Amino acid sequence: MTETIGKTKLTFTVNGRETEVLVDPSWTLLRVLRESLGLTGTKRGCEEGDCGLCTVIMEDRAVDSCLVMALQAQGKTVETIEGMGHEHALHPLQKAFIEEGAVQCGFCTPGMIMSSEALLRQNTHPTVEEIKVGLSGNLCRCTGYTKIFKAVAKGSESGGRL
Amino acid sequence: MNIDEFSCVGKSVPKVDALSKVLGTARYAEDIKMSNMLYGKVLRAGVPHAVIEELDVSSARAMGGVACVLTARDVPGINRYGIAFADHYALAEDKVRYAGDPVALVAAETEEIAAEAIKAIKVKYRLLPVVSDLHEALAEGADRVHDERENLILHSKTRKGNIQEGFRKADVIVEETYTTQTVDHVYMETESGVAHIDETGMLVIQSANQCPFRDRRQVAMVLGIRENQVRVIKAVTGGAFGGKDDVTVEVHLALLAMATKRPVRLVMSREESLVSQSKRHPIEIWSRWGATKEGKLCAMEGRVYGDSGPYIGLGAFVVKKCGIHLSGPYYIPNLKVDSYSVYTNNTFNSAMRGFGVTQAAVAHESQIDRLASKLGINPLRFRLINALDVGLTNATGQKCDESVGIKPTLEILRQVVLKDPELKNMWEDLD
Ligand code: FES
Ligand code: FES
Repeated sequence: MTETIGKTKLTFTVNGRETEVLVDPSWTLLRVLRESLGLTGTKRGCEEGDCGLCTVIMEDRAVDSCLVMALQAQGKTVETIEGMGHEHALHPLQKAFIEEGAVQCGFCTPGMIMSSEALLRQNTHPTVEEIKVGLSGNLCRCTGYTKIFKAVAKGSESGGRL
Repeated sequence: MNIDEFSCVGKSVPKVDALSKVLGTARYAEDIKMSNMLYGKVLRAGVPHAVIEELDVSSARAMGGVACVLTARDVPGINRYGIAFADHYALAEDKVRYAGDPVALVAAETEEIAAEAIKAIKVKYRLLPVVSDLHEALAEGADRVHDERENLILHSKTRKGNIQEGFRKADVIVEETYTTQTVDHVYMETESGVAHIDETGMLVIQSANQCPFRDRRQVAMVLGIRENQVRVIKAVTGGAFGGKDDVTVEVHLALLAMATKRPVRLVMSREESLVSQSKRHPIEIWSRWGATKEGKLCAMEGRVYGDSGPYIGLGAFVVKKCGIHLSGPYYIPNLKVDSYSVYTNNTFNSAMRGFGVTQAAVAHESQIDRLASKLGINPLRFRLINALDVGLTNATGQKCDESVGIKPTLEILRQVVLKDPELKNMWEDLD
C-alpha cells in the first residue's frame, strides 16, 4: 500500500471519460497525464511554460499542462491529443496538418493542434494574424511555422479561405 | 525513365509518419515505459575547470530507493568515447573540464529519489584557471584543458594559387575580423532514452539519436563488451539538427542498465540539455579580400579559430570546413586559409546545421558587401560577377563540372528586384 501514502484522489473527465487516479500533490497535470494515465501524446519540452508542447484543453481553454498542478484539474474537463480523432476519423485539424506538410519531427504537433482547436472554438474563421496570436505560446524548431498556419486555416470552418 | 513513371520523385507525397504524429501515438524515447523501470540522473560538474579532490557517494548509495550510484571507477571498459577521437570521458576522473561534465550517475525507483540522491553526493573541487579565450588557449605556456595534450586540436590549411600575386592585382582590399556566438539547437525534445537488457542478454538502448551504429560502437567501448552485444535503436526523434550526432544519453544509460540489470530511463531537463550538450561553435574569423576595379575577386587570406570546448566531438571537422568554405560560393583564384580548432573550458561544441559553413557565411557575405560598396558596384551584380560556375574551381581546386546553383539563384533574385519598383529604385545598376 506504500503506493497510496501521501497521495490524493483526483477525479476528472479526460477525453470524455470519467477518470479517477491517485496523485502525488506535487505532480503537475502533465506528469499525471503522461506517467499515470499513459497519455504520452502530450509532450514535455521545458516544464516552465515556454514551449507549449504540453498544451491540453481544460474547460475549453488551452493550458500548459506543465503549469497546472494535477489537483487543480479536480472535477474539470480535460482534452488531450488522444481525444481529438483516430486513424479512421481524423479531426479536420489533424487531416490538415498532414496535408499541408505541417508535421516534421512532430514533437510540437500535439500541442500545436490543441492550441489551434482551442482557438477555433472561439473563432471559427481566424485570420492569419489571429492564428499567429493563438499559437504564440507554441514553439516549433523544424517547420518555420508557415505550413502550420496554413494547416490551421485549412482545418477551420473557412477551409483555408483567409 | 520518364518522370511521370515514378511514384514519389517529383511528386508531393504525405510524410509516412505524419499520421502517428498528429494522433499523438508516435513513440518518442521519453514515451517508453517498461515494467520495473528505474529513473536515471546525472550529476554535472557546475564548475568549468577543477580538480576533483574528493568524491563521496556513500550517503547517496545508502538512500532507500537508490539502485546504484556510479562514478568513473565503476566504468568496466575504457572510460572514454568520441566519434573520431576518444577524448570524451564517460564520467570525470581526476578533473572536470566544463560545467556540463558528468561526475556521477544515479538510478533510483522514482525521479524524486534520483534527484535527492544526486544532491546527496559530495564533491570537493580545487578550482583551476579557466581556459576560455581562444588566443590565450593557444599562447605559449597556456593552461591545458587536457594535461597530456596542448590546446590546439587541429590546424588545417587550404591553399590555392599565389596570394602575393593575387593581392598585387587588387585595386581595393577589405580586411576585417568577425566573431559568431554559441548557439544551442533547442530541438523541442531534450536528450532522452531507455535502456534494458533483453532476454538474450543483449543491451538494448532506445534513444533520441542520429547515428545508432556510431553510438553502439562508443557504448561497447565504454562497457568493455563486443559491439554485437549492444543494440541501439533510434526512437522517433523530436528534432536533432546535429545535436544528437554525438552520444548524448546512450553511454550513461548503458552503464546504469548494466550495473542494475533493470530497465532505466534517462531524460534531460531543458536546463541540463543547455548546460551539457553540444552546441554550434563560436568562431572568430579574420579575413582579407582583394578585388579589381572591374569587380573581380583576385585574392583572399583568412584565419579561422573555432572553440571546440573541452572535447572534439565533430569539432575539428566543423572548424576545418568553416575554413574550406570561407570563400563562399565565389570564384577566387588565389587564396590561403588556416583554420584552428581549439580546446577550452567553454561549453562543448560539435555539429549543428551547416557544420561550420554558417559561420563562414557571416564573414564572406560581409566581405562581399564591403568590397562592393568600396567599388561602387551593386552588391547583387558584384555577386553575379564572382559567383562560381561550371568550369571554375572552388577553394580546394575541385572543378565544378555540373549543376552550380548560385548564379541561377542570384538571377532569379535579380528578376524579383527588377519587377519591384521600390526595390528597383533602391538597387539601381541592375538591368
Ligand atoms: S513543457 Fe509545458 S510549456 Fe514547455
Ligand atoms: S515539427 Fe519539430 S518542432 Fe515542430
